[in-house]
Amino acid sequence: MKNSDFEPGFFDRPATRKMLWRFLWGFCALTVILEAFIHREHHFAIDNFYGFYAVLGFLACLLCILVAKLLALFLKAKVDYYDE
Amino acid sequence: MSNIPPGLLLLLGAALVPLFRGHLKNIYTILLPAITFYCIAMLPADASLTVSFVGFDLNLLRVDKLSKAFGYIFTLSAFAAFVYGYYQKGSTEFVSALMYIGSALMVVFAGDLITLYIFWEAMAITSVYLVLARKTKKSFEAAFRYILVHVFGGLVLLAGIILTISQSGTIAFEAFNPQHATIGNWLILCGFLINAAALPVSSWLPDAYPESTVLGGVILSAYTSKTAVYTLIRGYPGWEILILMGCLMSIYGIIYALLENDMRRILAYSIINQVGFMVCAVGIGTPLALSGAVAHAFCHIIYKALLWMSAGAVLYRTGKSKCTDLGGLYNTMPLSLIFGGIGALAISSVPLTSGFTSKTIIIAAAANQHLLWAWLVLEIASAGVFLHAGIKFPYFVFFAKDKGMRPKEAPKTMLLAMAFLSFFCVYLGMFPERLYNILPDTEIVKSVMPHSFMDIYVHHFGHVVTQSQMLIFSGLVFFLFLPLLKRTDTISLDFDWFYRKGGRLVFFLLDKGFNNVNSFVDKTIAKGMTCRLSRFFALGPGRFGLAMIKSFWQMSGIGAVELDNSEKRYLEKYRTANFSIGSTAIFALFFILLFFIL
Repeated sequence: MKNSDFEPGFFDRPATRKMLWRFLWGFCALTVILEAFIHREHHFAIDNFYGFYAVLGFLACLLCILVAKLLALFLKAKVDYYDE
Repeated sequence: MSNIPPGLLLLLGAALVPLFRGHLKNIYTILLPAITFYCIAMLPADASLTVSFVGFDLNLLRVDKLSKAFGYIFTLSAFAAFVYGYYQKGSTEFVSALMYIGSALMVVFAGDLITLYIFWEAMAITSVYLVLARKTKKSFEAAFRYILVHVFGGLVLLAGIILTISQSGTIAFEAFNPQHATIGNWLILCGFLINAAALPVSSWLPDAYPESTVLGGVILSAYTSKTAVYTLIRGYPGWEILILMGCLMSIYGIIYALLENDMRRILAYSIINQVGFMVCAVGIGTPLALSGAVAHAFCHIIYKALLWMSAGAVLYRTGKSKCTDLGGLYNTMPLSLIFGGIGALAISSVPLTSGFTSKTIIIAAAANQHLLWAWLVLEIASAGVFLHAGIKFPYFVFFAKDKGMRPKEAPKTMLLAMAFLSFFCVYLGMFPERLYNILPDTEIVKSVMPHSFMDIYVHHFGHVVTQSQMLIFSGLVFFLFLPLLKRTDTISLDFDWFYRKGGRLVFFLLDKGFNNVNSFVDKTIAKGMTCRLSRFFALGPGRFGLAMIKSFWQMSGIGAVELDNSEKRYLEKYRTANFSIGSTAIFALFFILLFFIL
């Protein structure tokens, strides 16, 4: 199954990656712009500002990654940790 | 036919599996859950089956919308799992899976605590074979820990049930009142929570499930924790501690899934994350929240089974499950990617998928009760789900760094099962009304939640936009901070550290403690005191006689050397029991005198 000189597939080409990045940023912008044209329900005082869900998604995930990274310092162990 | 417990069909049906050969065996296992599904649909609401057992009337069949909803999804996912398992030709996995699912159905339809307990334990015993069937040293050890945790959980549950029955005088399993909670109620809650993989007894799940077989993982992911969710909905609605527990579980699942390298372990942690949403909903306890928990359990079982199927197909074809070993599989396994991707989108609650129409109910229930913190944590957890299960799993397995592996696409029956579940993920996302109709409080759900396609995606387009906004920005974080998420070939220490390493510490302490006591006792009592006592009883009388006779010898004025020789001669005679009759008579006389004097 292993093929040492394999062709880079569609998603491994730099051109595709560049296009996907553009698409990602574009979609981010689109959702924020669309918010101006919709009626949005809000339940609490804190979610009552423009782009709340964008900020929430961004910060929540960043926080999760940083906490995970921090915990990794204490919790990461070698694969054979329990076999020793 | 109208009062046969559905679980019984699978339990009895399992016994016949070894009689079938080849394709017939597979077709039989696929048909069994399909027939059971039909029987559940046909169960009348007043059906019941009472059996006498040691003086109790056990109710093996309680039919209402709650038990039926779980019955539907348990049999539906079993059907898909056995289509997926068509490649499997042996009987072991099929028999244990059918008995496991049958026991889970018996728990769901049980009307009393004793029936519940019996099949609760049966679930633990039958499911362990799905881990053991992998036949590796790791799976054997994980299965051993799995069964130990469940035996412990079962004992806690049993203690709670006995206390509750003796206090309340009834074996009926109804909702417990949080205002009048007894120790028995709390113990039952602990027993349920252990199976729900609640903190801190959560690590049995990511410990054992990833070590199971390809088919075993798909099946295990659905039943134990969701049966626990069912029992919580039935017994503990509105117990506020569950809100906190659910929030903790949902965050814990994300953090550990982010740390994890094994693809099936990522999915295992994401089960805990998703069950956290349901546990939180049970804690909120309003009819809307409880129906939300049922809806979410329903959709979760489908998309989680789909994700495990996709990961299982990769494991089946490559024999690998670590992210560090995988990558670039989109080249040759595009269908497994697409189906797994649909599962990943559904678990992330992307609009047009089932997660969007089920998780939203729970979040709305939290908002309706003005539970700001619970609502915020659930929203954060929703974003985090996209991060670990929605993107991380497909990205590291199918994309990331192309390792040059070019395995074949998954077998056709696997793809068929995945396509079947993918259809439900999308269908329930677009037309959730069918699902809302089987929930315990259909009217309340429908009055609060939009439920037709137009209503959800046109009239409530605002929610679609905010949800997309949150998810796409979560995705942005993933790709911006990808270097921080690079996988390493390591494991993460979890709560099982306490019993895996702690167990060894206890063993070490017991070893050192008891063995030292042992050797001390051996030295002082066994070897020391016993020998002395034996010497005392053997030589004591002789020495006593010597002490008496010696004074006579000394009085007769013999020399030191001769005294020494006489002493030796005397002891020699004593050892060989060779005293003359005269001296024996003298001793006897002396002892009689001594006796009279004293």
